[in-house]
Amino acid sequence: MTHILNIDICYRMSLKPKRVDFVTTWADLKETVKGVVTLGNVPHTVWHNRFSDVYSLCVAYPEPLAEKLYQETKKFLEDHVKSLLIQVNGSSEEQLLTVYYSLWQQYSQGMDYLHRLYSYLNTQHIKKQKATDAELLYGTLSYESPEQMKEIGELGLDLWKKHMIEPLKGDLLRLLLGAIHCDRTGQSLYNEKSSTIQGVIQSLVSVEEYKKKNTLELYETVFESPFLEATGEYYRQEASRLLQECTISLYMEKVLQRRDEEDLRSRKFLHPSSYGKVRSECEQRMVADHLVAIHNECPAMVQQELQQDLRNAFALLKSIPGGLTVLVSHFMEHIKQQGLRAVANLSGENIATQFVEGMLGVHSKYKEMTNVVFANDQLFSSALDMACASVVNHRLNTKQPCKSPELLAKYCDSLLKKSTKGGSDTEVEDKLAQCITVFKYIDDKDIFQKFYARMLAKRLIHQQSQSMDAEEAMINRLKQACGYEFTNKLHRMFTDMSVSSDLNNKFSSYLQNKDRIELGLNFSIYVLQAGAWPLGQSCPTDFAVPQELEKSVQRFEDFYREQFNGRKLAWLHHLSQGELKLNYLKKPYIITMQTFQMAMLLMFENTDSMTCRELMEATKLNSDHFQKYVQSLVESKLLAVSGGTGEVFEPSTVISLNMDYNNKRTKFRITAAVQKETVQETEQTHSSIDEDRKLYLQATIVRIMKSRKILRHNVLIQEVLSQSKARFAPSISLIKKCVETLIDKQYLERTPNSTDEYSYVA
Amino acid sequence: MADDIDMEKPAEKVTVNNDCVMKSEKMFSLKRWNAVAMWSWDVECEICAICRVQVMDACLRCQAENRNDKEQEECVVIWGECNHSFHNCCMKLWVKQNNRCPLCQQEWSVQRIGK
Repeated sequence: MTHILNIDICYRMSLKPKRVDFVTTWADLKETVKGVVTLGNVPHTVWHNRFSDVYSLCVAYPEPLAEKLYQETKKFLEDHVKSLLIQVNGSSEEQLLTVYYSLWQQYSQGMDYLHRLYSYLNTQHIKKQKATDAELLYGTLSYESPEQMKEIGELGLDLWKKHMIEPLKGDLLRLLLGAIHCDRTGQSLYNEKSSTIQGVIQSLVSVEEYKKKNTLELYETVFESPFLEATGEYYRQEASRLLQECTISLYMEKVLQRRDEEDLRSRKFLHPSSYGKVRSECEQRMVADHLVAIHNECPAMVQQELQQDLRNAFALLKSIPGGLTVLVSHFMEHIKQQGLRAVANLSGENIATQFVEGMLGVHSKYKEMTNVVFANDQLFSSALDMACASVVNHRLNTKQPCKSPELLAKYCDSLLKKSTKGGSDTEVEDKLAQCITVFKYIDDKDIFQKFYARMLAKRLIHQQSQSMDAEEAMINRLKQACGYEFTNKLHRMFTDMSVSSDLNNKFSSYLQNKDRIELGLNFSIYVLQAGAWPLGQSCPTDFAVPQELEKSVQRFEDFYREQFNGRKLAWLHHLSQGELKLNYLKKPYIITMQTFQMAMLLMFENTDSMTCRELMEATKLNSDHFQKYVQSLVESKLLAVSGGTGEVFEPSTVISLNMDYNNKRTKFRITAAVQKETVQETEQTHSSIDEDRKLYLQATIVRIMKSRKILRHNVLIQEVLSQSKARFAPSISLIKKCVETLIDKQYLERTPNSTDEYSYVA
Repeated sequence: MADDIDMEKPAEKVTVNNDCVMKSEKMFSLKRWNAVAMWSWDVECEICAICRVQVMDACLRCQAENRNDKEQEECVVIWGECNHSFHNCCMKLWVKQNNRCPLCQQEWSVQRIGK
């Protein structure tokens, strides 16, 4: 367009500077300018002629008349705006905004055209004088120096600002505030269109669009800040009115509604920079100023779990800095109470199940609530986690260790064990997967590990696992949650099972190859790796292996020695079991029993009765084991005590084979009684945990000191705490004790010139 | 009874046969036995003097490198002629610097390697 225009000019006249009569040229130009700024009809040709007039004036000979043109134009525009002001002032109060806005629309549009008509002046004469952007930004020049020439568009807007807005701003503000107030209350005062109000407000921004910085200054000072003040005042009154009228529940509802309406109103009328300010003003007046009232209502909302109220409270409070703290802490306390109610003071048979499923119930309920009501807000999720952790790690008696790790391990055991009542495989898998939720909250993960390992050992050795796949999957879940080191031993136990199965196959072909040796029974063995299993490394009692088993033991040892190098085997007869067939009764019975039980019964091959002393000497069992196993046989009615109660077994007590034994089933097991976990064992587990913790801490301290060489006491404690966090929460005094031990063992020493510093002894 | 297997082989066969014959008359007969045994390295000291970890566990380096179970199984024990034992991994590194037993300072020569 400009290009074509320029060509046109070339045709019409020479571009060479020439003498120009300013007065006549300006007279013509002025008429056109008037037409342009009032959006009057300006024919094409006239526009073109005036365009070249501007050019001629700017390049006039002998001296350019640009400056003069500028001054005259300025004077003309100034007069024009002043006349418009008179027009605005002449209109009635209710028409004022409408008139102002329509004149502004006309003027600003006109200025846009005029700016183009003067484009030669703008680009050739004014740009040159203008400071560079950089100068402006770094403030070396004062921008508003009066002598400076402005581009025509800017000049026009500036004149509007000076001669229209300045004198009128009080009226404009008053009318604008009035109009918006009416919009709020739903009345209508002067019936202005919202586009008018929006347009008037926007004119305060547009008028400064040429400015390089602080373009919103006028808008902010003339309109925004008094508007915010008025808004604040309005909502202050609104808030106290609402509070008098309604409950907090309803109040929150209404406030949210008001806030959303005001948001929409902002979008309807204001510049985008104000949206946030208005919203925060509303929140300040209606929420922050009445925080106490809302907070006072929080306990009731939380306790009664009023979801809608909680959702509203959350929506309102989250925008106030620190506003949520009270709600969050009530929420946490509530979950904690609910949790404790669900899992503390359990009694009955299946405490473990009650504990885990109760805990999971509470967790999933409030997880859901965090999700649905509190939009998964991080504050609330961590409150949930903290509450659950404090329930899981709650101790009734601070002297005793927390029962949760043990209960969780028992629950896992009940799911993984063969049982008649267990649900479908997928149900069990789901339940096992959920166990991890509780597991993650446990502080004393090492206690869980200990119990889990013991129960796993029993399940594996006594062949009570429901499914090896489920066992492996669970170990992998624990590994994922707690790391390789945590499950290392569990994995090794698990692999021992498959290694043993290979070994059994090899052993039977070994027997085949050695001239078809018969052992006289169906033999299989688990060879466990010492150190990986939570078992002693030897049998806890002397034991005379029954003659019937001797060959198996001998053959297998030979085979094992051939297979491996540098290994020794310890037979754990107290853990083994077998099937014994009873041929002396009315019908034959096949009974699965422990090896010790088997050995005792086998003693009755050639005699029907013997004294306890004789039986004990023959089996070589120690007193504890003897008592326990003989009792189990008496309780199962396979053996009978002659003339005794069966409560105490004196050396002279006579035991005899029960020749009248009768059972509906012909194939069954009597191992349960002796395999049951005893209170003693539980205590042992706990005390072995204490030992393990000391060793673990010592190893941790050595590792830290080895890499850091010299450390201050407090730094060392912190390091140890953070490294053992995943496993258990050690007490400071235990760590100190371990440090002392290590100093005694000469792994560490105190540095000579400091009282609280240790150094590593290489 | 099984001190000398070769010598007793024929005799055993007889016993087995006798068992079969006598089975019906015996009061008890053993059908099945699931034995449990635990193996460990046949060592004098259960802790490797080089890495100070139990010889039944993988050596410190193998543990730190977090290898999987298969690889840790390779972390076996080695015995010197002096009858001192260490992790094989630990000893391999040790002899590169000093071809003596870390415990008794005798010249190191391998007696056997665990399997």
